[in-house]
Parts: sequence; structure tokens; C-alpha cells
Amino acid sequence: MSSFPYLTVLVLLPAGAAFVLPVVASLLAPSSPQAERRAVQVIGWAAVLATLGVAIAVLATFASGSGGFQLVSSHAWISSLGIRWTLGVDGISLFLVLMTALLFPIALAAAGPRRHDPTFVAWLLLLEAGCLGSFLSLDVLVFFLFFELTLVPVYFIMSGFGHERRGYAATKFFLYTLGASAFLLVGILALVAIHAGQTGVTTFDVRALASTHLSDTAGVLLFLAFTAAFAVKAPIFPFHTWSPDAYRESPAAGTVILAGVMAKLGTYGIVRFDLELFPKAVVTLAPWLLTLGVIGIIYGGVVAAVQHDLKRLVAYSSLAHIGFIVVGAFALTGPALSGAVLQMVNHGIYTTALFLLVAMIYRRSGSFSVRDLTGLQAKAPVMAGMFTVVMLASIGVPGLSGFIGEFLILSGTFLTHRWWAVVATGGVVIAAVYLLWAYQQVFHGKPTPAEKGFKEVSWRESAYMAPLIALIVLLGVFPGPVLSRITPSVDLLVNHVEQVGHATVPPAGQPVANLTAKLTSAGGKAAR
Amino acid sequence: MSLLAVAGTIATPHIDYTAIMPELICIGGALLLLLAGALSVRQIPTGVYTAATLAISVAALVASLVLWHIVQLHGAFAAVAKSLDIDGFSVAFVVLSSCILVVAALVADGYLRREGIAGPEYHALALLAASGAMFMAAANDLIVIFLGLEIMSIPLYILAGLDQRRQESGEAAMKYFVLGAFSSAIFVYGIALTYGATGSTNLAQIASYLANNVLTSNGLLLAGLALLLVGFGFKIAAVPFHMWTPDVYQGAPTPATGFMAAIAKVGGFAALLRVFFSSLSTLAVDWKPILFVLAILTLVTGAVLGLVQRDIKRMLAYSSINHAGFILLGLQAAAASGIAASLYYVFVYAFLVLGSFTVIAFVGERGDRHHEIEGYRGLGRRQPVLALAFAILLLAQAGAPFTTGFLGKLYVVQAAVQAHSYALAVIAMLSGAVAAAFYLRVVFVMYGGAPAAQAAPAESIAGDGGGAGTAADASSGLATAAVAVAAEVGTEVASAAGGDAAPDRVEVPALAQVGLFLTVAFTVVLGIWPAPLFDFVHAAQLLF
Amino acid sequence: MLHAAFLIPLFPFLGFLLLTAGGRKLGNPRAGWLATIMVLASFVTTIVVFAGLLGRAAGARSYDQTWYTWLSVDRLHVSAGVLIDPLSMTMALFVTGVSTLIHLYSIGYMEHDENFPKFFLYLNLFVSSMLILVLADNFLLTFLGWEGVGVCSYFLIAFWFDRPSAASAGKKAMIFNRIGDAGFLLAMFLTFERTGSLQYRTVFAQLGHVGTPSLTAIALLLFLGAAGKSAQLPLYPWLADAMEGPTPVSALIHAATMVTAGVYLMCRIAPILHLAPDAAHVVAIVGAATAFLGATIACAQDDIKKILAYSTISQLGYMFLAAGVGAYVAAIFLMLTHAFYKALLFLGAGSVIHAMDDEQDTKRFGALARLMPVTSVTFLIGWLSIGGVPPFSGFWSKGDVLMNAYSLSPVLYAVAALTALLTAYYLGRCYLLTFSGQQRWSEARRSGDGTHGAAEGDGSPAGALHPHDPGWVMRLPLVVLAAASAVAGIINLPFHPLDYLERWLTPVVGSELLQLHFSTGAQWAFALGDAVLAAFGVAIALGLWRSTSEHAELEPAFLRRAWYVDWAYDRFLAHGSTELAEVTSADVETKVIDGAVNGFGALVAGAGRRLRRVQTGYVRNYALGLLGGLVVLLAYVAVRAVS
Repeated sequence: MSSFPYLTVLVLLPAGAAFVLPVVASLLAPSSPQAERRAVQVIGWAAVLATLGVAIAVLATFASGSGGFQLVSSHAWISSLGIRWTLGVDGISLFLVLMTALLFPIALAAAGPRRHDPTFVAWLLLLEAGCLGSFLSLDVLVFFLFFELTLVPVYFIMSGFGHERRGYAATKFFLYTLGASAFLLVGILALVAIHAGQTGVTTFDVRALASTHLSDTAGVLLFLAFTAAFAVKAPIFPFHTWSPDAYRESPAAGTVILAGVMAKLGTYGIVRFDLELFPKAVVTLAPWLLTLGVIGIIYGGVVAAVQHDLKRLVAYSSLAHIGFIVVGAFALTGPALSGAVLQMVNHGIYTTALFLLVAMIYRRSGSFSVRDLTGLQAKAPVMAGMFTVVMLASIGVPGLSGFIGEFLILSGTFLTHRWWAVVATGGVVIAAVYLLWAYQQVFHGKPTPAEKGFKEVSWRESAYMAPLIALIVLLGVFPGPVLSRITPSVDLLVNHVEQVGHATVPPAGQPVANLTAKLTSAGGKAAR
Repeated sequence: MSLLAVAGTIATPHIDYTAIMPELICIGGALLLLLAGALSVRQIPTGVYTAATLAISVAALVASLVLWHIVQLHGAFAAVAKSLDIDGFSVAFVVLSSCILVVAALVADGYLRREGIAGPEYHALALLAASGAMFMAAANDLIVIFLGLEIMSIPLYILAGLDQRRQESGEAAMKYFVLGAFSSAIFVYGIALTYGATGSTNLAQIASYLANNVLTSNGLLLAGLALLLVGFGFKIAAVPFHMWTPDVYQGAPTPATGFMAAIAKVGGFAALLRVFFSSLSTLAVDWKPILFVLAILTLVTGAVLGLVQRDIKRMLAYSSINHAGFILLGLQAAAASGIAASLYYVFVYAFLVLGSFTVIAFVGERGDRHHEIEGYRGLGRRQPVLALAFAILLLAQAGAPFTTGFLGKLYVVQAAVQAHSYALAVIAMLSGAVAAAFYLRVVFVMYGGAPAAQAAPAESIAGDGGGAGTAADASSGLATAAVAVAAEVGTEVASAAGGDAAPDRVEVPALAQVGLFLTVAFTVVLGIWPAPLFDFVHAAQLLF
Repeated sequence: MLHAAFLIPLFPFLGFLLLTAGGRKLGNPRAGWLATIMVLASFVTTIVVFAGLLGRAAGARSYDQTWYTWLSVDRLHVSAGVLIDPLSMTMALFVTGVSTLIHLYSIGYMEHDENFPKFFLYLNLFVSSMLILVLADNFLLTFLGWEGVGVCSYFLIAFWFDRPSAASAGKKAMIFNRIGDAGFLLAMFLTFERTGSLQYRTVFAQLGHVGTPSLTAIALLLFLGAAGKSAQLPLYPWLADAMEGPTPVSALIHAATMVTAGVYLMCRIAPILHLAPDAAHVVAIVGAATAFLGATIACAQDDIKKILAYSTISQLGYMFLAAGVGAYVAAIFLMLTHAFYKALLFLGAGSVIHAMDDEQDTKRFGALARLMPVTSVTFLIGWLSIGGVPPFSGFWSKGDVLMNAYSLSPVLYAVAALTALLTAYYLGRCYLLTFSGQQRWSEARRSGDGTHGAAEGDGSPAGALHPHDPGWVMRLPLVVLAAASAVAGIINLPFHPLDYLERWLTPVVGSELLQLHFSTGAQWAFALGDAVLAAFGVAIALGLWRSTSEHAELEPAFLRRAWYVDWAYDRFLAHGSTELAEVTSADVETKVIDGAVNGFGALVAGAGRRLRRVQTGYVRNYALGLLGGLVVLLAYVAVRAVS
């Protein structure tokens, strides 16, 4: 236990601000709108930046060598149900937390005039609390609470500030996710009940629940119940159809958080809970999930290739990238899983950047359609340059962030599930096709007279793009510091899965010969 | 002399007045109000009645809390010749009934003034109905339950028809009355059969009888059980005994609807839980399947039909049916935890429904007529606070986290899971998701649902550079931007002019605001800091 | 001296950073000079390191320099570092050398371009990626350079992005390369799985444990990558389109350096190819086929750059042929000489195009020899050396390849020899059409459309067109390269003490296969044969094209359309896949998958609407419902009771 409750602060800070802000605003509003706007600005920025500060402090205090949970703090909350406020961070959640804390200020900066709107900012802050809470909760039910909490602010942001079809998109998103988490809740309660039956202790602590003995059937059913919710949230093919609509109709800030942060709630849930709690089932069902992931990679790319709406295009490309993460998560090898965790962060960063650029274009031209845009490189070379870097990162060009994750995932998957890796590699080609196509449509060619007013990137825009681009390059060139913090936790998890689930994971430094022997047997399993 | 002797031999049971103090206060208060109304020469202003009612119900609340204290200290006991059980369970419901009274009185005041309904009737009837519910909660005898049922129901029939100006109101009362009488008849018949089968109407004796004797054929008893269930099912609006609900909810004066929805569920469930769980528990194997099916029907029908409503009161009627299904989950689990869960859920629901109908009552405007969901369009802009309160209440009903609504669902579903009825749990949660659809519809109408002209894309008002502005020389691609800008300007103008053609601000009287605040605070505070209510519910044990 | 190795790629990268930061401020031509100096510095450093390596004993000429650990996840350790050995040094030397010259040339060639600084920024980035590619000490870092050069080539092909054709060409190049890269990636996965490492040294040490099938797979997958990068069958079509880029780019990237990366890779993995003969043979055969194909197409092209492009494809085929038969030294030797003369030819073409105001059609040139003596002479030298006329460099390098091809199979030799003849012929055609015969450009001018394949044709009147040799910045590279391609042969003459390159490279690429079992007599015979072939080619060209410019019968549409391969790619791959995607998105996505979701919603709502009819509002119906429920209940309990 740490002296200072970093993590609790991390969650409660934005939450508190979310409640304070509207109150203050409504108090000031009558007297002077200016004062209100300023107050909203100040509180909003103070909250997100303070949160970022705390997150960085967490990174600083994080001991890199160890894989276990750190800064754990646990308080009784609903004692009668055995629910405790238990937060903790490990290598798997650490960088997701940092990413979240970084992306929210950026989202706020990118929110345009909405950043003066008290309700908008309040919802944004509440959303941040929800996301951080989900990443930090070690109590499954508290996780579920935050996991669900995120829906509400997103719903309001989308339906209140979105584009033309926001009503449809927001409702679809909310109901689809809510319906899926019905299974999650029942699954959680069932697991806890089983655990209580075995130990006589009613607890929702994931670390305790991990030791529950589950029959194969129970394991599989619970796994499916959990995964249903995560698959929709991520989203994993074929549960993705809410996402293009939601991403398309949200305001820029909303899209950024949806794609950058909330998509990771799903994949994080898979890594943290599915792998931790149901190793047996994971090993049994891994081939199916891998297949879905691979299909997602190819399918997302193919569909993206014929989208004329930039936002939808990026949405589908995001589906493909999530596919990579899923593959990495279920390959059950050290490199693949580390790659998956790293890729969650990478994807958060470059997808955010892509959506922000698309939003910039929209802000200037009033259109998302490649049909209306051309030759922008002549008008806005800097924007084109930014777009190029981000595009290359998401295509997976080495030296930029996207590559490391994809390479680790694929090479790690190749060890246990060769043919899935082979097909997934095809996705690398497809990614180039649709993104380059879009780039050519939008930035190459001669600008139309209509675009004569098209402005170059403004200072504020480059201010919030800069950190993203910097990270894209840094994570591509020096991933070491990040990986060294991720891998210990990942190794623990992989070993856990291996021991409990009898997964075929090649332990470090194993002689090649019997490694390959194991692999062939793994191939056999996969085939079965 | 013989007469005297006879008189002497009549054993009048010792009556422990503290045990029935809350009920007495309510009834006494009601009579007082009616007398005052009848005797006073001049028209007594509504405010006075309201004040009196508040005083009475607060008194009842205090009394019930005292009783709670006693029970917690000295344990539960049976009172008035074992016809009443004064245990944590019953007192908890009594407490809840008093709370409902308080809020209802707060809300009703403004409504009565607005609709110009003079006289004490409303408050008096509410007090009587509440006392009936209290009796049902405490009743330890089927006969007493029936008495309570009627004491509760008859005032509710009248309340439904209180607003003579709207003939829907009268119609509602009529339907409610006819069907209510019908179900009561069935209920009484159920009592008779049960008596015939077990030789007693006292719940404790029935229980002990069933515990000590093995029935060769329990057909009679089961039939009685079925009939009782129909009676209860009618009160709690379980499918297929629910059909009166939408019409009555829609027709009744809105605050009355809220009160009715809350108090009827309290009385109905209190008695249902006690009868089935404590005295008929030996038959659990027989009635669990029934409740299983009943719960599913109720959950699904409520959710599905709620989707297709245009009138918000009807919508909430179906939502209340859906909630009833959730509460049945707890009973179906047939375990102490399940009972606690149901109790918790009833508490939560009572406040949610009171608050929701408060908002509706005042958005409904004079004449209590504007209840189509469309009427809420843009409320978020016109009256942010009111809209936010309503949104919270609706989202809580949808089970949003960090509200009591979520914890209620969590609690009952957990009970179901512990009883291994996983299918039921899943169906319940899914129905909750479907139900969320219609809550969200209202929320969206209040916040996002601006008319097309105002559907201005978020970013199009260029924050920096004003690219769209400069590029607004409407040509191929940028036409949209131009439109967007225009639309945005439109929004500013419109919202400056106090929103679109929708009705302008509705004013919510101070008292009602207090009531609303209480319900919302209850929902949120206990959602974030749930320990107190959970402990309360856990302490609320049945006597046996 | 070897410690300076890290500076080699660093200098150009520094240039890239500086130009990114302040290129615009620096402006034209200072930006160009900065870039050139950076590359020059890197060239000098390379020479220094080279000298250091030379100082060592033949066996000990290998030096690792690790900068930092790039990736480290349980068994997977990849460092960022360089491997200095004769092979990488040879590559680095000619890459930096040629790059320096072409940078210099570009200063003149691009002087009027508005994006002058950006051009050099890309060039510098390219050079540094190329150097990382050749110097890297592991597959992954090589892949980084590999992708880096690919991306730069994308940028530079699409440099004039307002031309749709250029934009598409850039995209096409990138995509074809990605296809190859998929192969490269898979090869790395397999290598890692089998050997647990990606460092060249470790991998090659482990090869003993790895079965031949895996090695064959690895080799073939890498060859797929190489084919993409080096425009071999079936992934070659992008290179012809790549000519949309500015001519110096074509010279540097699409002739001298990047496209030879594939050949370098094959030589780098020589140890693997040794153990996987089948794969090696595939490489050889594909190489020979590509060489022949390229040559035939080049015979029928009019666009001067297209001719050179197909010629490059063909020459690269030679190099793969050599690598495939195990003659790595021959491959590298040809690569060097080719770098010289092909760069020379491109730069020559560049100055012609420049002089002709961005005209590229040889049919609209002619009789330029008088007006552009320097260009003409240097181009002539280029022709003769690529044609394999003794004693020019091409004669020696190509002879080497042919002889080795024979050592594997006479068929390969035959194909290669025929190609050699064609080579001498089509470049002769190109030279003659351009520099001799009667001048056709003035009336082409007068007939108006003087802007074939180029955008900047400001239709200036014919009078204004005075073709002349370029200024010294462009002329100097021409002369230097001409000299180089004339005499480069001496670095590897087939006579023992003079085969420097041979002895220099043997330690790296291994030498089992390199012992040619030919008597000196036989070698002379081969040499004579080559000479004769070259002479034939030259003669035919002179005979046919010296005076006239029309031989339709020699330019069948089949060849002009490049065997219809592009057409096939468009028709079947591009359109086919697009249609597939359209169907997927239109039907599968919206109708099936999303349809299911919305369908469920509709179902529920529909059910609601139906159920609603029950809610008639009549008390009697409600009572009925109540009764119905009761009846069902009673029925149930009755059943329970009797049972």
C-alpha cells in the first residue's frame, strides 16, 4: 500500500470536477457569461491537467521490474455484498492510464467552441473518471460500474453535440453495449457465487477470483458471458456495427475518446479478466477468438477500402487494428501479449491523431467525404505532413509506433498459431491500400477553387497534435522503456494461463528443437 | 345479567398501540382532515391541508422509526392477537410508506392549487391508502391482509378519479375499481381455499401446520395459492394481471399516479413476500416455477410494450411493470437474500417513480394534458435543472451505475444467480436493456433531439481560423459547411429566443421542488454511498 | 576508424532533420547544397571506415557496433546497430558515392521547382534509410531501412503530387512493395521461430538446427520481398510507372540504389541460400525470366525513361540470376557497374528532357548530338557499357554473370545471352533516336502538343527551344559517372591478382560455389562470345535506327503494352478486389451484419406493436385477461396436485 492514494485521486479528481463544474457555472451564468466561460475553461483544464500530472506521478513511482499490482489501495464500500473499492496498477494498465490521461486534455483542446460549454466539459470529465476507473479497478464489480458509467457521458456527448444522425448512433451504441454487458454482470455474479461456494468468502477481487476452480463448461460459459461485453465494446467482428455510426456521428472530442480510449476498455477487459479468470476456457476457445480477430483485420480493411466518408474509413481501419490486438491477446505468448498491450496504446495515439486531422479538415471544408476534397497538400503542407506520419504509423511502417506492436503480435502469434499470423500479415498490405487511397484523394491533385480559403494548421491545432506525433515517433524508435514495464506483468499473466490452462507457451530460452515439437502440438490443438 | 355475563366473557385482545401507532396516526389524521373540511365554514386553503398532512405523515414517519428502534432493540413480536407481525420487515415497509406520504404531500400541493382542486380529500385519501399499505405489510393473517388491501385500494380508486374535469380520470377510476373488485373477489376466494386446506388464516399457524403435517393431496391449497397470487399479481401489476395499469396510470391525476404506483407496490409486495416466503415456503417447489414464468412475462411485456408508447405516463406504466418483474426475481430466489433484495428494490423504485411523476405532473401543465413524449423536446435547453433531475431518475430506472437503480438491479439479479436461475437473470438484464431504450428516448428528446434546423454539426463553427466561414462561398463540397454555419446561427437565435416553438418554461412550485430534490438525492447519494440503505434492508428481517 | 560507422547514416539523417526544421528558410539552392554536403560527409566517413576495414586481415574484416536495444521481449532481442563487413561497406561506398553525384546534379535539375527544399529533404531521408538498410546487423533493422526507402520512393515518385498520374504511380509503388514486405515479415517470423533470433550473426550460426524446408521457405519469402523492392516478376510493374518522379529520383532510387536492395538482401542471406538450393534456383530462374521480359519490352518503348526503366528491370534480373546461381560477387559487381552506367544514362536522359522542355518521347528527339555534345558522348559510353562492349565495365560484369549462369544450366545461359544482345540493341535504338537521325522536335513543337507525359509544358514557341548541354553542376556528375562506367571493370577482372572484389567479398558470401570449373580457354571463349553478341546488338541497332525513326513492325502492341501485364493487374486485381470490397461493404456489412442488429430492434418494436392490440381499453377484455391468467395458473396447480 502506498502512502499517498494516487489511484483513488486519479479517479476522483475528474469525477469531482465533473460535479463541481456545472454548479459553479450555473452560479456564475446569470451574472456574467464571460465569467462562466472562463470558469468552465479553468476548471476543465485544471482537472484534466492535474489528472495527467497524477498519472505521470504514478509512472514515476511505478517500479519497473515487478509484474504484480502496485499502489494498491482497498477500502470497504458495499460490505454487505462484499464489494470493495480496490484499485491497483500494473504493467498492463499503466500505459493505458497514461494514455487516457493524455488523450483527454487533447480531446478538450480539440473540442472547438464546445470547450466553453459547461455540460460538455462536465460530461467529458465524468467520462475520464469512468475510463480511469475501469483501467484501475481490481474489484470486478467496481470495474463493471465504471465500465457502464462510461456509457452515460458518451451518450450525452454524442446525442447532444454530434452530427446529423446522432440520435440513431447514440442510442444504437448505448443499447448495444448495455445489452452485451447484461451478460457480463450475470457472469460476474455467477463467478462470485461459485467462488463463495468454494471458499465461503464473497469477494469481487479479481486476484482472489483468479483462484476459483471452474468446471470446463462453467469456465467456457462464464468466458463467453464476459467476452460478449468486451467484444462489443472493443469492438470485435462481427459485433462492430455500432462503431462506424458512433464514430461518425460523435463530435471530434467524442470520437477521439470512443476510438482512442473506450475501445481499449474492451481489449483491456479481455486481457485483464478473460485471461486472468478463465485460462482453461481461453486455451480452449483461443482459436475461435483468433479467427474472429483475423477476420476483423481483413474485413475491416476491405470495407474501409470503399468508404468515401473519412470518419467511417478510419472507423473501419480501427476495427482492423483492434483485430490485431485481439489476435495478440489470444495467441498466449509473451511477445504477442506484450505487443497487444503496447498496440492498445499505439492505436489509441494514432487513431486519435487520424480522427483529429479528419476533424480539422471538416472544420475547414464542412465535409468528411473524399469526393469533396482534393489537392489539400498544396494548401496545407504541414497538415499533409502530419497526416502522412500518422498514416504511415497506422500502416505499420517501422520506426513509427504502429510497427512495433504489430510485429510483436504477429511474430508472437506465429509461434503458436502460425496460419492465423500468416493471414493477419495480409492485413498489413490492405492497410496500405485504403489509407494511401484516401491520402491520394484528399491531399494529392490540384486544389479546387472552393478550397482557396483552406487554412493551414493553426498553432493551437499543432499544439495538440505535437505530443501525439512525438509519441508516434518515440514509441517507434525507443519502445524499450515502455516494454520493460509491460513485459513483467505480461509474463506473469502468460505463465498463469500456461499453468492453469495448460496453454502451449514457449517459456524463455527454450531449446529450439523441443520448442518446435511443442509448436506442432499447438498446431494440432489449434486445428482441433 | 346474562347479557353482562356474556359481555364479560367476550375477550377483547390486548392492543399494543405503539405497534400500530403509524397506522393510527394516518387514519386519525385522515379523519381529522375530513372533519375539518366538513365542519369549517369557510373554505380552508389547500396550503393548510398540505401542512397538516405533512405534519401527520412526518409524525407517522417518526412513529415508525421509533417502532424500528424498538424492533431492533427487543426483537420482533406479534401484536394484536397475533394478527400483526411487528418485525423489521414490516416496519421497514411502514417507514417507506410514511416517506412516500411525505413526498406525495409535497408534490400534490402545487398540483392541487394549479388544478384548483379544493378540499382535504386528496390528502385524506392518500393517508388512508398509506395506512392500508402499512397494515398489509404488518399483517400476519390473511384476513388482515385483505382488510389492508381494501383500505389501500378503495382510496386509490377514488384518487384515480379525483379530477372530474378530465373524463379519462373518471374512466381510469372506473376501470381500476371494477377490475380491483374482481381481483379482490378472487383473493378472498383464495383465502377461503387456503383456510379450507390448512384450517387457519393466520400465517404463522398456516406455516406451522404445513411444517408439521404432510398433505396427502395439496390440490386445494395450491388452488388457494394460485388465487392469492392472482390477487397480489393484480396489485403489483404482474403480467397477465397488469392490463389495467397503463389506462389507470394515464388517466389518474399525475401526482396520484406516482403515489399509487409507489404505495400499491409497497403494500402488494410486502404482503406477497410475507405470505409466500414465510407461510407458504414449504410449497416453494410448487410456486417457484410459477413465479419464474410470471417474472419473465412481466419483465418482457413491460420492456417491449414500453417501447411503443407515445404517452409518457403510459410508458412509465409499462416501465413499472418491468420493475415489478425485477422485484419478483428476488422472491423467486426464495431465499432471505432475495427477500432483502426485493425489499431494497421496492424502496428504490418508490422514490424513482415518485420523482418521475413529479416532473411529469408539472411538465403536464394546467389541465394535466401534455404528456406526449414529444412535449419534452428541448427541455434540456429550456430548463436544464429540471431536465437533469428527470434524466437522472430515468437513467436510474435504466440501471445507470452509481444510482440506487443500478444497485437494486444488481441486488435482485445476484439473488437470482445465487438461486441458480441464470436464464432468468440474463433475461431480466436484457429486458432492462430494452427498457433503457425508452428511457433514453425521453432523455434524447430532452437533450439531443433538436429539430432538424438546429442539427448543427459540432465542429462546423470553426473554433479557430473560421475556415468554414471564409470558405462559405457555397460551392460543391462546402455547401454543407455553409448550411451548417447558417444552422448554427439559427440555433443561437432560437435558443436566445428561449428554444423552438415548444411550450415555454413550466414552473415547479417550491414544495414540489423539495420533493423532487429528495427523490433525486435519495437516488444519487445512496447510489454512491449505498451502505446505509443496504444495512437497513439487511436489518429488516422477517419474524419467522 | 571503424567507430565512426554510426556517422554514416547519421549525416544524411541530420540533413533530413535540418531541412525539415529550416528547409524553407534556407531556400533554393542553399538547401540543396546542405543536403549534398551531408551526403558527401557520409561518403567520406564511409571511405574512412572502409580504410579501417581494409587495414584488417581478410578473415577479421567484420565489426559490430550496437547503438542500443531496440526491442526486448522475452526471447526476442533486437538491437539497433550496424554490421561493418566487406559486403555492407561495398554497398555503402557506392550508395554514398552515387548519391553525392546525384544530389549535386539535382541542384541544377530541380532549381526551378517550388518545393526544392522538400525534394532534398526526401533525398536525404532516403539516403540515410538506404544506408541503414545495408549496414544493419539484423533483419528487423534492415527491414526498417527497407521500408524507409520504400516510403521515400513513394514520396518522391508522387513528388509532383498535382499530377494524378504521379500520385497514382507513388501509391502503386508503395502497394507493390507492401506485398513484398508481407513476405519479408513472414520470413522474419519464421526465422525467429526457428532460430530464436533476428541478428544475422546468431541466425547464420544457428542454421545447422534448421531444417531445409524451413530454410527454403525463409529464402523464398525473403525473395518475395526482394522481388517487390527490386521489381522482379511478378511484382515489377510499379517501376515503369515510377518514372513519373523527377529524373534524378529515377536515377538514384529506381536505377542505382534502392532497387538493388533486393539483390543485396540475397547476397546477405547467402548462407541460407547455400543450404536451400531449390530456393536459389527459383531466384535464378525468376531473374533470368525477368531479364528477358524487361529487355523485350524495352525494345518497343518510346518514352526515354520507360526504356531505361525496363532496362533496369532487365539488368536487375541479371543480378538475381547471378545471386541465384551462387555468383554473389558477380551480382555485386554487376550492381556496381550498373549503378554507374544506369545512373549515367538516366542523368543523360534527364539533361535531354531538361533541354527539350520536359519532352520524354524519343520519337520527338533526334539529331541532338551536335547540340549536346557532352550529354551525347556520355550517353554513348553508357550505351556501350550496358551493351557489354569491351572494354567498358558492362562487358566484364555481365560476362561474369553469363559464365556463372552457364555453370548452372545452359538454358539460363542462352536466355541471358539473348537478353544481352537485346540490351545492346534497345539502348542503341534509344541512343540513335535521341541523338542522331534528323531532328523531329521542332515540327513536333509546331504541331502543338509538345507536352507528352509532362505537366510543365508552357507551350513555348519552337523558336524559344535551344537544346544545349546543362550547367556544370549537372555536367560534372555525367562526366564522373561516364568515366566510372568506362573503367569500373578493373575492380574485378577475371585474372587472379586483379580480382579485387572477388577476394574482398569472398569471406562474407562464402566461396564454395564460386570456383568456376572453366579452363582459361573456355573463359576466353565466353568473353569472345559476349563481345560478339554485344557487337551484333550494336550493329543491328545502327542498321535499323541510324536514319529513320519508324519501324512499326518492330514495335508490336504486345510489347508496347508490356505483355499486357499491367492491364491484367488492373482488370483482375484492382477492379476485381474493388468490386469484392463494394459487395462486402454494401451487402455483407449493411444488410447482413448491421441488418441483424437493426433487425433485432425492429423485431422487438414489432412485437410491441402487435402486443399493444391486446390493450383494447375495454374492461371486459382486461377481466378476460385476468381470468385467462387465473385459468392457466389453476391448470398448472391441478397438474402439480395430481402428479
